[in-house]
Amino acid sequence: MAKKNPDCQVYVVTSGKGGVGKTTAVANLSTGLAKQGYSVVVMDLDIGLKKLDLILGLENRVIYDIVQVVEGECTLRQALVKDKRFPDLFMLPAAQTRNKDDLTAEQVVEVCKELRPDFDFIIIDCPAGIEKGFQNAIAAADKAIVVTNPEVSAVRDADRIIGMLESAEFRDIKLLVNRIRPDMVRRGDMLSIEDLIEHLCIELLGVVPEDSGVVISTNRGEPIILDEKSSAAQAFNNVVQRMMGKEVPFMTLQEESFWGKLKRNFGFGR
Amino acid sequence: MLNFLKRIFSNGQPSSRSRANDRLRVVLTHDRVGASNHLMETLQTEIIALIARHMEIDGTPEVRLITEGRHSALDISIPLKGR
Ligand SMILES: Nc1ncnc2c1ncn2[C@@H]1O[C@H](COP(=O)(O)OP(=O)(O)OP(=O)(O)O)[C@@H](O)[C@H]1O
Ligand SMILES: [Mg+2]
Repeated sequence: MAKKNPDCQVYVVTSGKGGVGKTTAVANLSTGLAKQGYSVVVMDLDIGLKKLDLILGLENRVIYDIVQVVEGECTLRQALVKDKRFPDLFMLPAAQTRNKDDLTAEQVVEVCKELRPDFDFIIIDCPAGIEKGFQNAIAAADKAIVVTNPEVSAVRDADRIIGMLESAEFRDIKLLVNRIRPDMVRRGDMLSIEDLIEHLCIELLGVVPEDSGVVISTNRGEPIILDEKSSAAQAFNNVVQRMMGKEVPFMTLQEESFWGKLKRNFGFGR
Repeated sequence: MLNFLKRIFSNGQPSSRSRANDRLRVVLTHDRVGASNHLMETLQTEIIALIARHMEIDGTPEVRLITEGRHSALDISIPLKGR
C-alpha cells in the first residue's frame, strides 16, 4: 500500500436527514481520492441498512464486516474489501443482519486507530438520524462533511447536526450541497447556495447538481466520478481537489444576476 | 434595496424560495435554543409583566430571538414613558 502523507485524515459524512446523498458522496469522494493516488478506506457504519457496497459495486466481494472484526471473528485485514478499479481503495463493510447497538463508539475509534498508519484518508459513511449510529460514526473522525439538499427539511436537519458536531468539539465542519437545480434557483423555486450558507453559517466544500447520471451509475455500481463528462463528476472532482488542500473556484451555478433579470423583465436579450 | 428591487421585478408574489428562507430563519433560530413559540409567548408576557411592575411602559414592547452567525440572543425592546 502506498501511503502519500504521514498523517491520516478521518472524515465523517453525515446529514441528519436520510437520503440526501451521503453514501453517494462517500463512494465518489473515496474513488476520486484513490484515483489521485491516495490510499483510502471507506467505513460503512450504516449497520443493518448497508448500501455503500452496492454503490461502489463491491457487493460480491464482501466476506466479513466491521461487527465481526470487533467481535474477533476475523482480523481487520481480512474484512477489508479491495476495490475493483483502484488498488489503494478499500471498504470496511457494515453488517447487514445486525443493528447500530452491536457497535460502540470506542470500538470504532479502535478500528480507526488501527487503520490510520496505512491510509491517507478514512471516510466514514454515517447513517441518517442523530442516535447511536451517528454517535458511533462521529466518534473517530476529526473532520465532518455535512451533506444537505436545497430543501427546508434537509436544511433544518443539517443545522441540528452542525450544532451537535460543534458540541462534540469538531473544528472542521464543511457543507456539501447535493442535488441543486440551477434552473429552479433561477426561477425562485429553490434555495440557492448563498441562502444555505447564510442559514447554516459554515464553510462550503462543494456543490453537486442534480444529475440523472447518478442513478445510472448506481445501477452499474460505478461511481459517477469516473464518468468525467458528467456535471456531477466535475463537482465531485472539485471536492476531491479541495480535500487534497487545493483551492478550486466553485462552479458557476450562480443565480441570474440582477442585470440579467432586469434585461429579461424589459424584454431585452432572450 | 436590492431585495426590494427584486421583489418588484418578480411580479409582487414572493417566490417559494423567499418563503423557504423566511420560514427557515424562524425555525432555525428557535431550534438552536430549543425555544417553542409557546415559550416565546410566555417569556414575552412574563418579561413585560416584570418591567411593568417597576416602570411605565409606553408603546409596543418586543421580545424576540435574533441570530448572529450560529449564535442566538434574546432581543428585548421595551419603550418606556418619560416624565
Ligand atoms: N446529485 C444527485 N443527482 C441525482 N440523484 C442523486 C444525487 N445524489 C444522490 N442521488 C440519489 O438519491 C438517493 C439517495 O442517495 P444516497 O443513498 O447517497 O443517500 P444517503 O444520504 O446515503 O441515504 P441514507 O440516509 O438512506 O443512507 C439515491 O437514489 C441516489 O441515486
Ligand atoms: Mg447512506
